[in-house]
Order: sequence, then structure tokens, then C-alpha cells
Amino acid sequence: MNRSRCNPSEHALGRRAFLGATAAIGASAFADMTGLDVLGTPALASDLKKNQKRVIMLWLAGGASQLETWDPKPGASTGGPFRAIPTDVPGVHISELMPQMAKRMKHVCIMRGLDTKNGDHGGAAKIMMRGRRDEAGLKYPDLGAVVAREMGRADSKVPDYVTFYTQTEGRGMAPGESGFLGARYAPMELTTNNVPEYIRKLETISDLDHKTRADLRDLLSKQFAKGRYSEAMGSHNEAYERVRGIMASETLFDIEKEPQKVRDRYGPTQFAQQTLIARRLVEAGVPFVRVGRAWWDSHGQNFETHQEMVPELDHVMATLIDDLKDRGMLDDVMIVTLSEFGRTPNINASLGRDHFASAWSSTITGCGIKGGSVYGKTDEKGNKVVAENVDAGSLFATIYRALGINPEKNYYVGSRPIPLVNPGVEAIEDVLA
Amino acid sequence: MRLLRLVVLVYLTFTGTRSLIADELPPADRAIDSVIDQLVDARIAAEKISPAPQADDATLIRRLTLDLQGRIPTTVELNEFINSKKSDKRSQLVERLMASPAFDRYQAILFDSMLNSDPGRGRSGSVRDYLTQAMKDRKPWDRIFRELMLPGDDEKTKSAGEFLRARVQDADRMTNDVSVAFFGVNVSCAQCHDHPLVRDWKQDHFFGMKSFLARTYDANGQLAERAAGLVKFKPTKGPEREAKLMFLTGAVVETDTLRELTKDEQKKEKEITEKRKKEKNAPIPKPDFSAREKLVEVALKSKEAEFFARNIVNRLWHRFLGYGLVNPLDQMHSENPASHPLLLKWLARDTAAHQYDIRRLVRGIVMSKTYSRSSQYPSEARPEDRYFAVAQLKPLTPQQLATSLKIATTDPKQYEGLKPDEFEKRIEQAEQSGRGLASLIAQPTDNFQIGVGEALLFSNGDRIMKEYLTDGGSTLLGSLKNEKDAKVAIETMIQTVFVRNASELERKSLVPYAEERKDRLPEAYKQILWAMVTCPEFRFNH
Repeated sequence: MNRSRCNPSEHALGRRAFLGATAAIGASAFADMTGLDVLGTPALASDLKKNQKRVIMLWLAGGASQLETWDPKPGASTGGPFRAIPTDVPGVHISELMPQMAKRMKHVCIMRGLDTKNGDHGGAAKIMMRGRRDEAGLKYPDLGAVVAREMGRADSKVPDYVTFYTQTEGRGMAPGESGFLGARYAPMELTTNNVPEYIRKLETISDLDHKTRADLRDLLSKQFAKGRYSEAMGSHNEAYERVRGIMASETLFDIEKEPQKVRDRYGPTQFAQQTLIARRLVEAGVPFVRVGRAWWDSHGQNFETHQEMVPELDHVMATLIDDLKDRGMLDDVMIVTLSEFGRTPNINASLGRDHFASAWSSTITGCGIKGGSVYGKTDEKGNKVVAENVDAGSLFATIYRALGINPEKNYYVGSRPIPLVNPGVEAIEDVLA
Repeated sequence: MRLLRLVVLVYLTFTGTRSLIADELPPADRAIDSVIDQLVDARIAAEKISPAPQADDATLIRRLTLDLQGRIPTTVELNEFINSKKSDKRSQLVERLMASPAFDRYQAILFDSMLNSDPGRGRSGSVRDYLTQAMKDRKPWDRIFRELMLPGDDEKTKSAGEFLRARVQDADRMTNDVSVAFFGVNVSCAQCHDHPLVRDWKQDHFFGMKSFLARTYDANGQLAERAAGLVKFKPTKGPEREAKLMFLTGAVVETDTLRELTKDEQKKEKEITEKRKKEKNAPIPKPDFSAREKLVEVALKSKEAEFFARNIVNRLWHRFLGYGLVNPLDQMHSENPASHPLLLKWLARDTAAHQYDIRRLVRGIVMSKTYSRSSQYPSEARPEDRYFAVAQLKPLTPQQLATSLKIATTDPKQYEGLKPDEFEKRIEQAEQSGRGLASLIAQPTDNFQIGVGEALLFSNGDRIMKEYLTDGGSTLLGSLKNEKDAKVAIETMIQTVFVRNASELERKSLVPYAEERKDRLPEAYKQILWAMVTCPEFRFNH
């Protein structure tokens, strides 16, 4: 209870502090401009520490139906027209719309008992991305920002957190949010196409000039830093030092660089292409990538919508699992499928399903998770969770634990300690590998 | 907790920093700046620290102009100031900067950010236009507080209601935001349990504050208040409780209106809101007993007003010094004492005694020698922030950065030979042209870190190149397009952007850089200018 205040001087002098610290420079540093080194090449997958964990989140925006995906109820009045099929995990059935995933469930954990209380797009998306409700006067960072902070490296040559959100037809329902972690961990957000904003050099400047002016900037910074110190200044210099590396990572966003065979495996859709880019990004060391697929909000014609969208999800997710497995990355990369909520078991007059946050499903695959497990059970019609209830907090605690992050770790906002998940919230041990 | 206090006491006894313990409050009639310097210097002496020297004139005018008006000075202003031999040139400069409408506009932006963590004109909760007018009208801080809390239906103050109106859906947030902004107290911990760090705050305090505010509602576009209301809460132990109208100090306002609304009253409220949907100006009945009015009353009562006075002092101190007397700004409580308790006490008393005159306090702070120290420290043993022995580097706010970038990249002749009102107009134009860019820049917070997004924007953003680093029109680069003498060009750029004269090192490194590119000097100038505006010397107020 009597936690002492965080003393800034206790934080080790990291790279940021070093960059912000007094830089003793002599005239010699100014003498020869042409001798300054250009920045190095971006990090390669082989440079990454073997155990660096990364996350690809497939965000099913608008709310995908659990009944047409992970928790089918064939034969029930709420079940709809689709059958359930057996999977490679004995006793586990999923929707017939997912035949490819049915052969790969041994890698996947299904969470069938999500009860998350909020059925409003905006509010629910915030909860499901942050693992809890914002508090008065305190905005929490979302999962991507936390993973970026925990797994990203200060001098990383690649972005820490990338989010694709191009398909929502202008619905700004679930933007990434770094909350109290601040702009340093804000996502690189792609909302119009597959190339990040400002990553490409303008035509009006040559590559050489682009480099040498950065060297000039460095020179002036060092002159100014003499006798001065501030962490914010350190972050400013670090941000500029990362520019050339991030620019070099533009090729990661270019699927033309991927063999035709691989591209064919994923398929031609935008969701497939962005998922392939996500794989390229995590391979290069990006800690967190979210690929948004929209718009699942099937208040009318639920079954047509899912008949069209689920097979794509099935194919893309199965391909991603195979691809990561082939590359030996499935132990270090986690795939999460998540929405703001699921859909009502009750089928409305327009043959749609409405917002439903009381008993829905999510999946976690790969890194640190017990494949082939199912946690949570809903009743016959899918109206409520009858066993192994999970809320947003415990889902997040489970994800953190699987990634090797202590969910009780504190961040400090001023003097106030703020754990990654709210006090008392625990991970679900049963599904951890 | 008791143990902690004991430890602190022992610590104080042994370190013998006398000024921390007793010492008397300086007399009330002393000038603000002299009291600041006396008390800050005493602490510095007691800690055996040597303070950084005073900043030079060029740094001082840059700092003052950024802090007071949210922009860098022009070369005309710079040269006039550094060449002046007048002994009172600093106070004259401060008076000039504060007399300008640019001061009102910029301080209003800062107050708006203080009230709304996610600020911006037109955003929910923003009261920027109201605050700009309030600054122009020289309204004191207690009056601004009163009008934000009780906007009424007067045309002049109605727009102040947006602050509360944006929060009516979430009374917890309203409670916390009001407590943080006006009293420097974050009681949100006490929402779920008694505050774990602060003995002063119980759940009763949070729900007591909430009781003052929870009757507020939105009657279709206008702030309104119910005649009664009851806030209940479940303590961590024991049965459910009913909250009183209790201020942070524990002061309770007695009332017989602590009750749920009757069905009839609820129906009436609905009718009024419905009516206002049809008739925009349909009147809203005022409650006989206004809980919010009582909150304002109790918060400004002499004993209780300590929270209010200390908060505005600490916030303005932080605004200009870059670090609070109490940090974080929303943790002003007994377990988190001020670095200079006497100074905070004296300034709070002085401010309350002078009717919360914002300008008077601002003037006092920026005239102090404490404010005008250099940010450069001559040795490695840099003193801790809380001694105010060396100036902080303050990251520019979005408005400061955008307006300053406009001024820095404009042909300095554009600001020469202008009549005062023409000059004012041109400054306002610079502010306006910077708005688009400002919206892309992050608002500084505690422990602020600049993200790679900003560096990418400046490195590859079309907007930066087209609007600022272009040689078309009346820009700085335009004025240097035909300048063959690299030395002249670089000296002009340094003066315009960094607001000082070029250093020896810059002459030795930047001039050769340009000369090596003789065949394409304008481009060389452009790269040099880019390096200047992206360098921390420009990005920070130093």
C-alpha cells in the first residue's frame, strides 16, 4: 500500500538519456562534413533476438459473429443455416465456413466465454483495444502501444506499432491510441493505402542531400546539447535518427518484393495483402501490427455477410499460420483475432444479428499459448457464458503473460503506479503453454 | 504512512536545510520577483549548488516571446532588444508583449489545454474563444472559474458552459477534471477506494465533489442544473453510503436537497429538453438551490481557497519555469510537499490578496532572475530540476512550433518598418497560417517524448517543403535566392531562425557546406535551413 514514488534518477541511463545528455564535441567534429557516416541499413530478421515476441492482430471491425466462426450452434433456433465441422482437435467444432482453420486448430486457442459488457462500437472498441475502460482523466494505452513499449527497441530501424485501417469506409471507430505513453508509442496508422505517410522521400530532394542535411542537423544538435539535458530532447534526436531506418523499411510495405508464390498463397484481397505485409513487418522486428478487416456489422443479411467474409478470414489466417510455421516464427509471433464485440444469437427481422457483448469469441494462436485449447462455454443457444467467463482485462493479462510481459508491471503517471491490467485481474493459466 | 513522515522528519533534521522547515513568510508588500529570487536562492545556497548564469539577451527575448505570445521574436525585435542600453528594457519588453492581443490569444490556448487534455478549437469541451475574450477583458482567475462553473444564460458567458457541457455524460470525469484543473487534485483513485498514498482523501471526498456536479445536465445545447440529487457509493467496507456536498478540505455544505428527483420533476426536465428542441431559446428553470454555485462559494472561501490559489500559482509557475513547485501538477497534497513551501504559500497568499490577477502573477514570475537563468549548465553536475538553478528545456507547444516556423522561414524584411498595428496583424497571420501544421504536432505533457511521426513529417512532408521551405513568395529562402555570399546567407538564417548571431563553429562548418555546393547555392541554403528548424535549438524553448 505504501508504494514509494518512482525516482527518475533510478532509471538507468538508457540510450535516450545518453542522446539527450551533454555531448562534448570539439571543433574537429565540424571540420569535415563529408566524412560523416550515413546511417546503417535496416535490421534484418536474422539480427533479431530469437526470443523477441511480436503480435499480429486481425481486427474484425464492426463485430464478427461468433456463431458463424468459432462457436457455432447448429440445430439451435439461434444457429442459422451453417453447419459445424470437426477439427484436427478432437471434440472441437467450428463453423463450416472455416474448413482451412479446421485443419489448424491444434495451434489455436479459442476463447468462447467473452463477456465484455459494452455493445457500443466506439466504447467497446476502446475497451477491447485497451483491455479496460478509460478512467476519468486517464487515457490508457492500447495493446499495440504497450507491446511497442515493452518489445520495441529505442533505436529500432522499423516502426514499433503499425495499424492498417483502410477498409472502414470512413468509420473512425477504432483508432490506435498510445494514451498516457504519449506520442513516442503512437501507431503508424495506414488509413488510405498500403504505404505509410511520409515514409517516402519527396521527389524534390536527392537521396544524398536528404542524408547530408540530416548530418547537418546532427551537428547543430550536438552544438546545442552542450551543457544541456532533457529526456524530451533525447527523444527528439532519437526520432530523427530513426528516420532513415524507417524510410528504408518502406520496402517492407511493398508486397512486390515477396515471391509470386507467396503472394498467391495469401490471395489477392486487400486484407490478404495487408496480412502479408504484417508478416513482413513482424519478420523485420516490428513488435505489433494490427490489420483491420471491415465491416462485419451485419444488422441485416448476417448470413450473406458472413458467407462472404468468413472464408476470406479462414483462408488468410490459415495461410498466415502456415507461413509463420514454415519460417519457424510461430513460437515467437502471436496471432490474435478480436472485435469490439460479437453478435446476438437472436436473428432479427432483417435476418441480421445485432451487437452482442455477453457471450462471444476471440482466438489466440502461436507464441506462448496452448494450441488446441478451448476456454469458455456458452449455453445451448449461445445466449450466455455458462463456464469460464473472460472479460477484456483477463484476456489482456493472458496475452501479456503469453508474450512474457508481467501484467502487474507498473507504469507511472506522475507518482501514481498504474499496472498493465487493473489490480486483481489475472491471466488464464489454463491456456498458457 | 506514519513511518514515512518520521523518515522525512529525520531527513530534514539531519540535512539541516533550515528554509524547508521554519523561516518566516516574507512581508506581503514585497515585489513578487524579489520574493521568488530570495526564496529560490536561499534554497540553492543551502544545498551548496551554484546556479547557472543569467541567460544572454538574445535567449531572454526568445524565451519571453515564446512564453508570453507563443512565437519566436523577429530579427527587428531581437536587434532592438539587444542593442538597447536602457536599464528597464526587460520590463518594457514584458509590458509590450503582454499588452498585445497575441498574449491574450496564446494564454487562452494554454488555459484551454489546461482544462481539456485533448484541446483544440471546436473540439468537445473547448472554451478557447471564451478564454480569449476573458483574457482580453482582463478577467481575474476566480471570475473565469466562476463563469466556467456558472455560465448562466448571459450571451457573454454562455459559451463558457461548454467545459462542463462536454462532460455531462460522465459525472466522474467531470468531477475529476474540475478537481484537477482548479484545485490541482486528482481524486480519481478515491473513486474506488480511499486514496492509497494520501491520507487526506477518502471516497467521501471524491463523491462529495461529485455531489456538487452530478446535478448538471444538458438541456439540449445549454448547461442546466437540477434542483436536487443524491450520489450514493459503495465503500470498500460496509454498507452503501450517501454522499454529502463535501469540498476537498472536508468542508460540508448543508442542504435539504440530497434526494432523488421525484417522477414529476423528471418528467418536467424531459419536457423542457423536448421543448428546447423546437424552440431554441425556451427558458430553463433555475434551481432554488444550486449545488454548483455552492461549490464556487465554498472553493473561494478564505480558508478553503488555499487549494484554488495554490493551484493557479503552481500551474503558472510550471507554465513559465517548465517544472512545478509541486509535481505532478495534479498531486497537490500533504504527502507530496512543494519544493519551496514558503514560496508557494507566499505566492498563493499574494495572488488571492490581489484578486487572482493573472497578469500580475505572470509579470512577477517572468521578471525574476530565477526565470531568466541560462539552460546551459557549465559542469557535468547538473542540479536537479526542483532547485530551479538552471533553466529547463521546454518543448514547444504545437502553436509555438507552427507560428515560430512561419516566422523563421519568412523573409525578415516582411517584419521591418511596420507600424505597431500592422506588425500585430502580421503576427496574427503567422499564427493563422500555422494552424494546419499545429494540428499535426503533439501537445507536450509530463515526461513528453517526441515520436518518429513528427520527424517523418518534417523529413518527408510535402507541407513543410511547400509552405515553409520554399523559395517562392516572401520567404526567407526567397530572399536568399540570389545571395552569392554564403557567409551573409548563413548569418541571416541563424539570426532569423535561432534568434541570435552565428557562432564561430557555425561559420566554420555551415559556410563551407554551402560553398562546396556553389553551383546550387539555393538548394544548399534549403538543406541548412531544414537542419536548423529540425534541430532541438529550434524545437525547444531554452
